[in-house]
Amino acid sequence: MMARLRVLTGVSILLLTAASTLVGCTKGEDEVTPTSSAGEQVVATGGPGGPSCTLQQLGAPKLDLKDAIVGFSQSEKEANPFRIAETQSIQDEAAKIGVKKLLVTNAQSQLSKQISDIQDMLAQGAQFLIVAPLNSAGLEPALQAAAAKKVPVLTIDRKVNASPCKDYLAFLGSNFVEQGKRAADAMIKVTGGKGKVAILLGSSGNNVTTDRTNGFVDRVKAQAPGLEIVAQQTGEFSREKGQSVMEQLISSHPELTAVYAENDEMALGAVTALKTAGKNPGKDVKIVSIDGTRNAVQAIVDGTINAVIESNPRFGPLAFKTAQDFYAGVSIPGNVIISDREYDAANAKDSLGSTY
Amino acid sequence: MTVPADAVSGRRELVAGFVQRHGALAVLALSVVTASLVFESFASFDNASGIAIQSSFLVIVAIGMTFVIICGGIDLSVGSVFALGGVLAAYASRWGTLPALVVPLAVCGAIGLLNGVLIARLRLAPFIVTLASLLGARGLLLSITDEGASTYLVPRESSFVEIGRGTLWGLGYPVFLALALAALAGLVLQRSRFGQSIFAIGGSQDAAAMMGVPVARMKVLTYTLSGLLAGLAGTLNAARLGSGVTILGVGLELDAIAAVVIGGTLLIGGAGTISGTLSGVLLLGVIQNVINQIGNLGSSYQLVTSGAFLAVVVVVQTYLSRTQRLH
Repeated sequence: MMARLRVLTGVSILLLTAASTLVGCTKGEDEVTPTSSAGEQVVATGGPGGPSCTLQQLGAPKLDLKDAIVGFSQSEKEANPFRIAETQSIQDEAAKIGVKKLLVTNAQSQLSKQISDIQDMLAQGAQFLIVAPLNSAGLEPALQAAAAKKVPVLTIDRKVNASPCKDYLAFLGSNFVEQGKRAADAMIKVTGGKGKVAILLGSSGNNVTTDRTNGFVDRVKAQAPGLEIVAQQTGEFSREKGQSVMEQLISSHPELTAVYAENDEMALGAVTALKTAGKNPGKDVKIVSIDGTRNAVQAIVDGTINAVIESNPRFGPLAFKTAQDFYAGVSIPGNVIISDREYDAANAKDSLGSTY
Repeated sequence: MTVPADAVSGRRELVAGFVQRHGALAVLALSVVTASLVFESFASFDNASGIAIQSSFLVIVAIGMTFVIICGGIDLSVGSVFALGGVLAAYASRWGTLPALVVPLAVCGAIGLLNGVLIARLRLAPFIVTLASLLGARGLLLSITDEGASTYLVPRESSFVEIGRGTLWGLGYPVFLALALAALAGLVLQRSRFGQSIFAIGGSQDAAAMMGVPVARMKVLTYTLSGLLAGLAGTLNAARLGSGVTILGVGLELDAIAAVVIGGTLLIGGAGTISGTLSGVLLLGVIQNVINQIGNLGSSYQLVTSGAFLAVVVVVQTYLSRTQRLH
């Protein structure tokens, strides 16, 4: 009897741990219905860096997307507006142009899973891959497996440390350093170039975080020496973490007059923390963030966030257009940089339709 | 009348006993057959070799975990140690292949040794000690990578990469290494004094001590082994990736524990097999693969599906082990 009880306890501990990891990862999110035509991505530059790429150069077989199996490897759970809009956009566009079969995998923030996801899709006969890399390093085995099968890989939103037109076809995405610089410009504008600012960093070891930080810090140093960066802490791109880090910052740096959040979710967490502490976000403490989610732009309308630099997640139309061009014999530049919008008090209300 | 009844229940007990001990194998076989029938791309050599290479690293980690759990303990540090091993290997690969193997093994073995000493000599709870080293190893990793901002690359011409990427008969070297280690571990567990001591300690530590088993020494050895194996898996993985990725291994300890328990090893210690663990790891790999075969499942439902699948497997095994024990 005792032994049985102990077995059961053991099993329930296991199940509980499993359950808590499952639950712990899923966050409540406001439903966002992506508007398909509004807010479509616009190419800014067909970019410097890296050669252009043609079908012959990559050595890929010719393909009609309507008869093709296309694979999409998403990096993180669709638990935040960016990822929801990104996956949705790929699925919508695949349906629109009539791709024979679209395979969708999700690496759940685990790099080893992303590698196996890509290998699984190759084993299932994927002929063209769209990959949203979780990390800039470490996907080499997956890229090699794709290259061995002559399957072109288009990376979107994050770049991998590899050679375009050799290890992968091309990169589509935003310039994250530029986003950081524009956030700094917006911050200088709303603060008048004076004050004490805290940075809520994204996940560490991530090039998005590094770029958005460097862009911001460099621009502030160059343009507004009166704006002092007094703290930098990671909020891991999540609302909860952004909120708890902000709570600590309020008590350790009560003199703060501004916050730069490297994504909207952390900014929204910071707004909650500031409100709880009896401060007036958007007025006592100015907030600038990056992403352009509907909730954050609504917060500009409500006056709790001051400015948001967009990072457009709707990669579907541009990704499939790039694929079609590629198979039509057009040469594809290694870096396709998209142009991102900017939201502030002046345009937030009218721009709500193009947010995600 | 009693004779046939006994014979029936005897046979039933035999079958139940076999299925309980090899429950994971039975479920694995069932899953593979079902998946092959449902998804035409499942039963290809490409897909099978993919699952094999993906599982090989977890197999190596789970072997160490099997020893630890049979011994009545738990090792939560393996995920962080795995990641640390990979980063150290990538860092040391600039000096050649041998340092790339030795440095991570030395550091990870030392972490395991420290775990073992704290648990066996100071009699601290394994859960807390290894939780502390989970955090410590991750912290060490962050400190040598500038808070995770720099990723060390293995030099492209280094022969170290070959260890992770080379193939024989279409299967990656890590697959063969994992199988060899599993076979060796199975022998050690069943046939050596060390193996038998671990079973005795896991069954009843006091009884084992009275029988003259050097309990503390065996425990230290077990945790050191677990640290070494986690470090080795991380090293091989770094060779395969060609870089010391800093974000790896989060939650890997739970995968390893799950695989071990699915494989029929009791979480309370004293019973378990390496072959079961092998089936457990492969089962996790197959579940993942099947979810990808479905092809268009939302990320939340992927988690629900794999959670539900795990729950079913464990319930079936608990039920089988109960019928056996009741008799």
